[in-house]
Amino acid sequence: MLVLTRKLGESIAIDDHIKIVVVQIKGKQVRLGIKAPKETKIHREEVYLAIQDQNVQALESTPESMSGLTQDLNNKK
Amino acid sequence: MKVLTTRFGELSVNKEDVIRFKEGILGFEEHKNFFIVDPNDNTLILWLQSTDTPNIAFPMIEPQIFKSDYFPVLMPSDMSSIDLEETSDARVYSILTIPADYTQMSANLKAPIVVNVKKNIGKQIVLQDNRMLVKHEMYKELKLAISSHATSDDRRRTMQTPIRTLSNQNSNPMAANEAESINPAELTNAKTAMTNSESN
Repeated sequence: MLVLTRKLGESIAIDDHIKIVVVQIKGKQVRLGIKAPKETKIHREEVYLAIQDQNVQALESTPESMSGLTQDLNNKK
Repeated sequence: MKVLTTRFGELSVNKEDVIRFKEGILGFEEHKNFFIVDPNDNTLILWLQSTDTPNIAFPMIEPQIFKSDYFPVLMPSDMSSIDLEETSDARVYSILTIPADYTQMSANLKAPIVVNVKKNIGKQIVLQDNRMLVKHEMYKELKLAISSHATSDDRRRTMQTPIRTLSNQNSNPMAANEAESINPAELTNAKTAMTNSESN
């Protein structure tokens, strides 16, 4: 992994069109500004972790909970 | 071909029904080939079953069934990642989690499974829209949707999820939904700070 040191207000350019600026440093928090073409996807990493976690839980849907749900949904009351 | 599955036993699958996920499913990158099983149990829940691993099967549903105002927006790069030229060639599914208390079931609206039905290429696409939830609870919505239609065929007819691409949109979903959009004044301050630190 490439590690760079930046001061407040300094930035990093990635390719020709992506720019990441250190906007604010407050204690342990760093705010970053990201300038990128609008088709670039930008997510906090937690989003990916949450999706992976949801996929793992999806696999764990048990036959018991499924059959309970099936009965429930087929009961129109 | 014959495929062994944990939930449905041995199934016979046509080669042309196999959907290729070049990047797998998030967290399950090693599984590339899936097909869709419809157990016909009147729940409208389908299963994305791996062809090579019997116990890898994700329950999923077409989100339009329970959420008629769901409009996923694909980036041009999303479109090309599944060779999609026309949005009408895509089908959209949400992976479900169904816990022991199934009334807490949820659908992943943030990262739908999008399948190019012409070429049978699929991908779990993470949408930029930050309003979309990874765990959208939807038991009540599903129950209502199912009880308000006479037959499952009626329901299926109404449930294609329209997708949009960024190019058809006037607004940039990223700008509209980014929770921490940067205030231009802060950038100015940052520039000032930079100038100061350089002069020191």
